[in-house]
Amino acid sequence: MNSHPAARFDDKPGREVELDVATQDCMIHMGPQHPATHGVMRVLLKADGEILAGAQTHLGYLHRCAEKIGESVDWLQYLPYTDRYDYLAAMNNNLGYSLAVESLLGVEVPERAQYLRVIVAELNRIASHLFAVGTYGLDLGAFTPLFTALRDREEVLELFEKICGARLTYSYVRPGGVMNDAPEGWLASVAAFLDGFEKTWHEYWTLIAENKIFIERTANIGVLSAEQALAWGCSGPMLRGSGIDWDLRRDQPYLIYDRLEFDVIQGVGYRGQVGDCFDRTFVRMFEMVESVRILRQCLEQIPDGEVLHEEVGAVIRPAPGESYVAIENPRGELGHYCVSDGTKIAVRVRVRSPSFCNMSVAEHLMPGAMLGDAAAIIGSVDIVVGETDR
Amino acid sequence: MAARDTAWGPMELNRAAAQEAAEALRAAGWELELQLPNLPLIAPEGEAKDLVRRAKEEDAEPVWRGDAFLLLGKAQDLPAVLEHCRDELGYALLYDATAVDPSVDSAELKLIYGLRNLQTKARLIVQARVPKTEAVVPSVALVYPAADWHEREAAEMYGITYTGHPDPRKLLLPDDWAGFPLRKDYEYPEEYNGISCT
Repeated sequence: MNSHPAARFDDKPGREVELDVATQDCMIHMGPQHPATHGVMRVLLKADGEILAGAQTHLGYLHRCAEKIGESVDWLQYLPYTDRYDYLAAMNNNLGYSLAVESLLGVEVPERAQYLRVIVAELNRIASHLFAVGTYGLDLGAFTPLFTALRDREEVLELFEKICGARLTYSYVRPGGVMNDAPEGWLASVAAFLDGFEKTWHEYWTLIAENKIFIERTANIGVLSAEQALAWGCSGPMLRGSGIDWDLRRDQPYLIYDRLEFDVIQGVGYRGQVGDCFDRTFVRMFEMVESVRILRQCLEQIPDGEVLHEEVGAVIRPAPGESYVAIENPRGELGHYCVSDGTKIAVRVRVRSPSFCNMSVAEHLMPGAMLGDAAAIIGSVDIVVGETDR
Repeated sequence: MAARDTAWGPMELNRAAAQEAAEALRAAGWELELQLPNLPLIAPEGEAKDLVRRAKEEDAEPVWRGDAFLLLGKAQDLPAVLEHCRDELGYALLYDATAVDPSVDSAELKLIYGLRNLQTKARLIVQARVPKTEAVVPSVALVYPAADWHEREAAEMYGITYTGHPDPRKLLLPDDWAGFPLRKDYEYPEEYNGISCT
């Protein structure tokens, strides 16, 4: 008999029970409309008293057939659908898909477009991490971080509205470059935002790292070991939170990331053990600081020039072939495996989404945790259900 | 830092890793082919559109661009080959496992597994083929737990049976969904449980 792959991690001791009272296993449905599931997703929890004995994730409530649509519409027509998987980081989704299409076209976009892409992707990373940390606080009963986080996220959304007219689903980055050049004064507004954000970041950090309730509810909770993170194919803050030094921006450099200096943040066990819920939040907080560093360098280096490759028009016919292109989304590795047969419609657009893989390990972090920790563990994965279900 | 050679990543590094892995796996006794794309990674200026057409006219060989990959001779070898990649070649992380239906006329489905080596920073794509009429393949979820959900998704979308999978339930589709939506010959349903789909 084959045992479940999780079984080999199950020898972790559960929590000490001081008084052993006879209890009955109780099945609890968390979701599909539970606010802490960040979308529509159901987790079936098995609780022995207040201690969790197991969990099972049920997905599919937000399945919109993205991959099937990818094989039914033109290469370029699919772009707006990419906005809809991780709707908190739509610029990054656009970028991942555009790079995958360009890899089959064999086209490198003009330098100014590459810089603009990095600028919008990093701004989106800040907005996404702000939302992640803010709503995570909300899951745990801390209201204040969300309001302050949304204040700054609003400024990023305003910047996006100025450059492309949309606040959530942008379709700004497109195969061949970007939709249009930045309007006059936009880059200066980005610099002004960074100046303000650097100051308010410390406010968030105090609200998180000095907040006793937040620390008690996240430190030493949901510890994901490095081996477990690797075995389950985790990526992004989930992988780095467990102390693994891996970032696609540095290790599989794309666009102009090889010209930029930044650090890869890893979990250090700041308030508890390496790989606990606090460490994942720690990684997100400091990644925002690194994004600011990246943005400042981009604003200095950005050259003038075209923003759209002249050979990429409205109808795209990539060369036959198949290619996998991955980028570092705020939530981890977003990969597109595109297969082309040389026509204007794809044979296959496979989306490897970070939340999907990160979520698959969450149910194995539950056994031994308290019932109330379920929300803390799911929240620390920072899933977007639009992306797990696609 | 891995050297960047295209705007979408270090493709030469991945290509070299595929060549190396192919030799190592062949030496260990597995039957496989190394598939290398024959178009340049970056199209020469002004030729992004015409290159394919002209290459076709000049040479009858099929032209293609993209990633190099390893094509296994036997799909039954998958778990053992991936285990060898993990333990001997250092590919510690499986980032994706999926399938492709190349066309309506194709008699086979392609299975695709993507691996990463965090030390050398390379990634490797391993593929195998299974007949559509009997799409049965051993699961790799016990080698890489990460394949658990990926295989469940591929199973419901392509009608592949992963033998030995620890938890072969449907993942994204409802339990009573009929047909395999990502197969090219899939027919859209007229209705689902009394709900019109047209």
